[in-house]
Amino acid sequence: MKHDVLLCGVGGQGILSIAYVLDNCALDSGLFLKQPEVHGMAQRGGAVHAHVRVSDQPICSDLLPLGSADLLLSLEPLEALRYLEYLSPETGWVVSDITPFTNIANYPETGSLDDILLRLPRTILFNGSLLARKAGSPKAQNIVALGVASARFPYPAELFEKHIATLFSAKSERLVNINLNAFKLGKVASTFHGRLLDGGVSPALAMALVCSLDFNPWAVPDSVTEAWLGFLKKAEADRVVRQIFNSRQVLGIDESVPEKLAAGEA
Amino acid sequence: MHKRILLGDEAVAKGAIDAGISGAYAYPGTPSTEIFEFIHRTSQQEALGIHASWSSNEKVAYEEALGMSYAGKRALVSFKHVGLNVAADPFMNSAVSGVYGGVVVAVADDPSMHSSQNEQDSRFYAAFAQIPCFEPSDQQQAYSMVREAFDLSEKYQTPVMLRLVTRLAHSRSIVTTSEPRPQNRANYCPDFSSWTLLPPNARKGFELLLDKQAYFRKISEEHESNRLVINGVGRPGIVASGIARGYVEETLSEKLGDYNVLFVGFYPAPVQKLARLVECSSEIRVFEDGFPFLEKAITSDGLNRNVSVKGKLSGYLSRSGELTPDAVKAALGVSVQPGLMIEGVKEVLRPRPPVLCDGCPHGDTYQAIRKATQDYGEVRVLGDIGCYTLGYYTPYDSVHACICMGASISMASGVSHAGIRPVLCVIGDSTFTHSGLTPLLDAVRENTDMTVLIMDNSIVAMTGGQPTMVTDENLVDMISGIGLDRAHIRVIRPLARNLDQNVKTIQEELDYPGLSVIISRRECVTYYKEIKTAQRAREGEEQ
Repeated sequence: MKHDVLLCGVGGQGILSIAYVLDNCALDSGLFLKQPEVHGMAQRGGAVHAHVRVSDQPICSDLLPLGSADLLLSLEPLEALRYLEYLSPETGWVVSDITPFTNIANYPETGSLDDILLRLPRTILFNGSLLARKAGSPKAQNIVALGVASARFPYPAELFEKHIATLFSAKSERLVNINLNAFKLGKVASTFHGRLLDGGVSPALAMALVCSLDFNPWAVPDSVTEAWLGFLKKAEADRVVRQIFNSRQVLGIDESVPEKLAAGEA
Repeated sequence: MHKRILLGDEAVAKGAIDAGISGAYAYPGTPSTEIFEFIHRTSQQEALGIHASWSSNEKVAYEEALGMSYAGKRALVSFKHVGLNVAADPFMNSAVSGVYGGVVVAVADDPSMHSSQNEQDSRFYAAFAQIPCFEPSDQQQAYSMVREAFDLSEKYQTPVMLRLVTRLAHSRSIVTTSEPRPQNRANYCPDFSSWTLLPPNARKGFELLLDKQAYFRKISEEHESNRLVINGVGRPGIVASGIARGYVEETLSEKLGDYNVLFVGFYPAPVQKLARLVECSSEIRVFEDGFPFLEKAITSDGLNRNVSVKGKLSGYLSRSGELTPDAVKAALGVSVQPGLMIEGVKEVLRPRPPVLCDGCPHGDTYQAIRKATQDYGEVRVLGDIGCYTLGYYTPYDSVHACICMGASISMASGVSHAGIRPVLCVIGDSTFTHSGLTPLLDAVRENTDMTVLIMDNSIVAMTGGQPTMVTDENLVDMISGIGLDRAHIRVIRPLARNLDQNVKTIQEELDYPGLSVIISRRECVTYYKEIKTAQRAREGEEQ
C-alpha cells in the first residue's frame, strides 16, 4: 500500500496544520512517512506546498515525482491548477476549495478558473469559506478541506479528530470544537458529493452543487438527498445550478429547496 | 527506543541533545533555523540544562561553541550555508587548533536557492578545512550521524561537519531515537598551547591536522554509509550521495541490481571504493544534490575522463538547482509522468511570489522613501537581507542591491566615497546587529555622507519570528554610543498617516552633508504577539 498526497495553498493558510494531522495519523497507523514542506521566504503569502507520502513499506524519496500523486488537496483554486502536473493522470483525485486568495494583482477571473475546475476528472470542489464560517471561524478553512478529503485516506474519522483536537488544544477548547465542526462539515459535503455521483449526477453538476449548499455538521438525511437527486434529474437543473454556482449563491440544504427549485420558484 | 515524527532539522537537534550537548549556538537562516529552535524548546520543556540562545551572528555562534569545547563540553553550531561564510574564520582555524569537548557544525545548504542568495556546497568547506563531514540521506541517519560526529570529534579532537540540504532539513519522517547520554563535566583542556595559534603552535597544529587525514580516510573506506555493491564487472556504475540515494533507490527499485552502486554519506570521500567502482564499471553516473563534488574527485576536476563519467560537470545533469526525483528519472532513462494535462490551465496560471504581509511597516517605509527621493534624480537604495528585500518588487521598487548580511551600509559607504549624492541604504534591526554595526563604525569615524535607514520591527521576521538583539530606544543608545550625533539619529513611525512627516524627515537627512541614521520603528504585524510578550519579559527584568 502506498498513498501520496500533494497539499497546496498560499503561505499562511494552514497547510502545515493539515500535514501535522496527516503525519500523526500515519504514525498511529504504523505506516512509514515522508513529508517535505516549504519554510522561509515563500511563507510570506507565496505559493506553498507540502508532500505527504505514506506506505506500509519504507519510502526512499522525500519528494514526489511528477504525475504520481493519488490526491491533490488544495486550499485555493489557482493553486490546485498549479500542481496538476503532480497528479496521477489516470487515478489521482483533486479536492479543492473554490475560495480565491487574491493577493496578486493579475489574479485570473473567477469564471476562467471555474471553467477549468468543473472539467477536472475525479474532483470534489467545496466552498471552504462558507463552511468554515459555519463552523465558527473563517480560519478553519484548512480543516474543512481535511474533512472533505478524509474519506480518501486509510484512516477512520476518530483518528483525524484525535489529532485535530491535539493540534488546537494548546490554544483553546473553543478552537478545538470549531475545528472538529469544520472537519465534520467537510466530511458531510464530500459524502453528499459521493451520493450525487452514485445517483447518476454528472461530475460537473455534482461539483457545482456541493459548492453552493449550506451543509450542517451532521449527515444529510436520505430524504433530503433523494429530493436533490429528484431535482437534478430535471432538464433545467444543469442551467439552474450552474447559474447559482457562477454567482456564488448559497442555498439551504433542506428538502424544501430542491422542491422549490423544481417548481421554478427559487 | 522511541518513535516520533521529526523534521530533518529536528532529527539533527534531537541527535545532538541525545549525544549530550551542553550548548547550542546558531543564527537563524532558512533552511537551518529549526535545528536550534527544537533544542531551545526541548531544553526548556524538559529542563535539560543546555545553554541555547541565538547568537548575534554565525561567527559569534561558532566561537561560543569553541569556548564550550575548550571547557570540555559538547556544542552544536547550526546555520545555513552562507552563515558558514560568516563563520569561516573560526571554522578554518578550529581545524588547526583542534577541539576538546566535541564540536559539530550542522550546515544546511539550499540548492535551488529557495530562500537564499546563492547556491553553495558546504562539502567543499569541510574538504578545505580538512575535517570529516557527514551527509545523511534521510532523517534517521541525520539523527544517528550526529552522535557519531560527536564521538569522532572527541576521539580525533577535530570539529566535524554535518551537511544537510533543504529537502532533508524540511522534510518530516518517523525517527527512532535511542537513550540519551549525559553531558560532559566542565574542565579545561589540559594543553592550551594548541589553542593559542601563534605561528609555532599553529605549525604544530597544522602538522597534526595533516596526520589526522590518514585516519579520516581509513574511517571513510570502512564507513557503513559509504556502501559499495559490485553487482557485476562491466555493468554501469552509480555514485549517489546524501539525499540523492533515495531518489536513485526509488527510481530504480529492484533494477538497482543491474548497476554497481556506491552510496556516500561520509567524507573525505572513500577514494579506494571510488577507484574500485570505476575499475569495475563500464561508465559512472554521479548523483549529488549541490555541486559536483564527487564527480570532480573522480575525474580530477574533469581532466581525467578515461572512463565515461556523467554528472553535473559533464552536462548530464543540470549544474544549477536542486536534484529532484524527476531529474534522476530522466537521467536514468525512466520515463517522467507528465501529470494531469487539462486544456487552458497554462493560460490562467500566474506566479504567486511572496509579498510583504498586509499592514507590514516596511510597506509604509518604502512608500515614504519613494516619495522622499522622487525629486532627487536617480536614488539607488542599497538593501540587505530580510523580509524587506521584497521591497525590490513593484509596487515598492525601493531596493536596488542585496548581496549579503550587513552589506547595505558598507556598500552605501563605497557609493558615497565614489561621489554620488544622496546615498541611502536600508537594513533591518537584526541584520544590523549581525554585521551592520561594524561598517557603521567606519562611517561614524569618517562622517560618511549618507543616510542609513534601519527598519526596526523588533523581531527576526523572515525566518519565523526569532527574538532580536537590540531594538527600540536601546538601538538609539547603541548608535549614539559609537559616536553619532543624536541630532542625526531620527526616529520615524511608518504609518500612512505619518507619510508627509516621514518624507520630510528623510529629505532633511538626505540633504544633511554627513552621516545620519533614521530608525523606522514599528512592530512586525505578523509577530506582534511575540514582540509584546518579549517586551513584557524585558520590562519585568528591569523592575
